[in-house]
Amino acid sequence: MADYDEEASRLTIKLVYYGPAMSGKTTNLMRLHDLLNPQLKGEIMTLETQNDRTLFFDLLPLGFRTPSGLLVKFKLFTVPGQVAHDATRKAVLSRADGAVFVADSQRSQGLNNSEAFQNLADNVGRVGLDFDTLPLVIQFNKRDLLDIYSEDELRERWAKMPWPLLFAVALTGDGVQETLRALMAQVYPVLDRQYGLQARHGMGREEFAAAIVGA
Amino acid sequence: MQLRNDHFDRDFTLTELLAGMSRERLARSLDTLLGPDFRLLTARSEVLLGTVEPLSVACRCELRLDIEPLGFLEAPVTMQPQAQACASLIELTMKSAARYLMASHLHENNVNENYKNLLLQHEALLKSELQYKQLSEELESRVQAQVKIIKQAERQLYQAEKMASVGQLAAGVAHEINNPIGFIRSNLGTAKAYVQNFSQLAPLIKSGAVDQLAAVWNEGDMDFVLEDFSSLLNESISGADRVARIVADLKGFSNIDHTEEEVISISDCITSVCNVAASRIPAGVHLVMQLEQTPPLRCRPGHLNQVFLNLLLNALQAVGEQGEIRIRTESITGVILVHVIDTGIGITEENMLRIFDPFFTTHDVGHGTGLGLTVCRDIVQAHGGSIVVESKKNEGSHFTVYLPLDRNT
Repeated sequence: MADYDEEASRLTIKLVYYGPAMSGKTTNLMRLHDLLNPQLKGEIMTLETQNDRTLFFDLLPLGFRTPSGLLVKFKLFTVPGQVAHDATRKAVLSRADGAVFVADSQRSQGLNNSEAFQNLADNVGRVGLDFDTLPLVIQFNKRDLLDIYSEDELRERWAKMPWPLLFAVALTGDGVQETLRALMAQVYPVLDRQYGLQARHGMGREEFAAAIVGA
Repeated sequence: MQLRNDHFDRDFTLTELLAGMSRERLARSLDTLLGPDFRLLTARSEVLLGTVEPLSVACRCELRLDIEPLGFLEAPVTMQPQAQACASLIELTMKSAARYLMASHLHENNVNENYKNLLLQHEALLKSELQYKQLSEELESRVQAQVKIIKQAERQLYQAEKMASVGQLAAGVAHEINNPIGFIRSNLGTAKAYVQNFSQLAPLIKSGAVDQLAAVWNEGDMDFVLEDFSSLLNESISGADRVARIVADLKGFSNIDHTEEEVISISDCITSVCNVAASRIPAGVHLVMQLEQTPPLRCRPGHLNQVFLNLLLNALQAVGEQGEIRIRTESITGVILVHVIDTGIGITEENMLRIFDPFFTTHDVGHGTGLGLTVCRDIVQAHGGSIVVESKKNEGSHFTVYLPLDRNT
């Protein structure tokens, strides 16, 4: 449900980093801010933290202008992972064009992951989105830690799911760009269908992702 | 477009972001820093502050939020460094305003949602409260229905108890009546044969055959027949009288529930009660009657008979096979007293407090409902009187019934 402002010639796309508390959502945004070099890049806006835990959300604005002059503006949000902040999570999730589920790879976090994923599925429905069609990728973060589920285990477990599975160490930036690129690949067809990215603005799938994440 | 403004993460305009501050003050500051020739413009080039007319030779600084310009600051080219610094300050203000708008909007959103949830919870609570209320009302009516059933059963038991002692008498009374009926029936059979004997004599008497008549008379021992005929008729008459007396005594117990008030003698009542119960008095029990001629009393004799019968039967039970039961009546001013005194097992002190309580019984289950004395007390109270008991264990009990002649005194 991107925002298209014809008068300002602006398409605003909302992507949400969802997941259990302390899984590294904010770290993903911070590394993206460091690593990406798109045409337009804003500062990370952090709205209230308490002991380094997100209370409201973080926001990273990124963007580029198409050859046709359209400003394509990405707003990357994180939600607060703590269970108590469900109302905020719903507000941030509402009208999202796509989501990254950031899971914690540690074996001790299996239950938290599944509860948070169930919460994502529930809230997607509550804010009027369709979980079956919402562009979504799964990122297993913290691959550098010791007691973690192996990639084979995770691939096997998620094999029947339709969502792309990515592995990352957000702290060092490993995999964070790939995750965003995978999500953009999911988001593109939906936006193209609705706003004619290719036909009216000359933006193909590759150029679209490259404009933000690079080639 | 209206919908879009409802979201905390909407794209803000410069006008919105500057709405929270004094424009005059901002204008004065810019005037001091840049001189009078400056213009603050929106993204659509509407003038927010400064001169309305375009500047002739001007530099233009973008006012960015995130990645896009939301407006411009124009100043003379000569003031470009200052203009740049001013634009930077305004951007900081814009960013701060954006943060505030987003946070407050999100906060409001959360408060509303919590409120909505509270309303839903409240509604659910009201609903469950209503259910409990209905349940409790239903419970009350169920309890009431159950109480009604129990009361009805109690009443039936009470009623049954009233009849029970009379029922106990039925066998004895049947025997009392059966005896005379038996010999009356036998006498009548003999009488019928005697009549036949006499009817054989009739043709001889008519024909005047005196010799033959005398022969038949002697042959048939008609002298004896005549004598016996007369005595068996007398016997039958006294038997019928006995039945009549028993029936008369029994009448006092008939129609217990619908007896009319009558004026009667209490001593006569007690005599008939004792007659009716006579068959139940064992040989070893001595019944002593000390009945005064009491003044006539307006009462329901059927009910009072019930009382005296109950007291007598209780006394009989207390004495067992051996002992004495004394029934005494006396009248002192305005009151008739009936004493039923036995030499039986007596009543223990703790039982004494409860003997008039409904369903209290010292007998085994199935032998007495525990309503006998309750019925007695109720009947006596209905006659304006009372019952008093004195008793000593193993020495006997003394029941005294007080019946006032005038119930209103």
